[in-house]
Amino acid sequence: MFFMSNTRTNDEWLHDLRASGEVQEAAMADLRTLLLRAVLYLFSRNLGDFRGLPRDEILQRAEDCTQDALIAVMNHLSDFRGDSKFSTWAYKFAVNIALMTSRRERWKGVSLDQSSLSDDSNLFEWKMQDKSPELAPDQSAMQGEVGEIIREVIEHDLTEKQRQILIMMVFQEIPMDEVVLRLGTNRNAIYKMLHDARRKLKSSLQARGFEVGETLSLFST
Amino acid sequence: MEQKRFESWLKNIYETQDEEISCTECFDLVSRFVDLEISGEDAVAIMPQLKQHLDQCRACRDEYEILSGLARWENDDESPSSDDLRDLIH
Repeated sequence: MFFMSNTRTNDEWLHDLRASGEVQEAAMADLRTLLLRAVLYLFSRNLGDFRGLPRDEILQRAEDCTQDALIAVMNHLSDFRGDSKFSTWAYKFAVNIALMTSRRERWKGVSLDQSSLSDDSNLFEWKMQDKSPELAPDQSAMQGEVGEIIREVIEHDLTEKQRQILIMMVFQEIPMDEVVLRLGTNRNAIYKMLHDARRKLKSSLQARGFEVGETLSLFST
Repeated sequence: MEQKRFESWLKNIYETQDEEISCTECFDLVSRFVDLEISGEDAVAIMPQLKQHLDQCRACRDEYEILSGLARWENDDESPSSDDLRDLIH
């Protein structure tokens, strides 16, 4: 069954949501329907994150996320600049909240292997994996050199915090929101740490003569 | 680390810019980017920094992909009802 629920223009959305009484109630009910749809769509795609949870409980989580998204949208109405459809703008609050919820569910209770944070021996295995029998010796040596530069930068040039975040996100593949939660920080701070780490890695590789095309072709399969 | 993943990380390293936008700025701009794409405009040319952030940030990219799907449905008037979506959760 398909239907149209979003027949308001951007201005009408803003006007109705800022109105009072029945007009506002009707607009909020329509907005709620829109947000619930976004949450349910995301949950239905990420059902694996909710393994073991009964259906009723998943649906309840969806209602909770929708309520949180509704509050977020109402609190941010003045931020809407009208440079997209109102529905697209509103959806992103629901997507953000629902995705964080489903990731949290997946990672809840997973203890991170702290030992691998201090034991670097397993971190640089790509060098071994990448060596194929038909690889020319000089190419293999250059691969080794790239790996060595990366290892040196990670071990000596990054701050402790940058190293910890890089290992968690790039090597252990822990989602950003989970890193945020466990380190008690926020996405912007994590992104900045990773950005700074990438800049150091890039400039070190370039300083040693490894430019982009040549380096990528060394490793491409 | 698997080879494919390493390659993609190496690519990310080389595509690093001195100045990159934050996740908050990305969240602020992504709805415009999605709607530009849907309307057939060259969103990447218009908002290169947003695209650069999406290429570097898995968390923001995941949100962008879902948002894009939802906005396309909305644009085509083909959004399924909440009941239809509830049926997919079992």
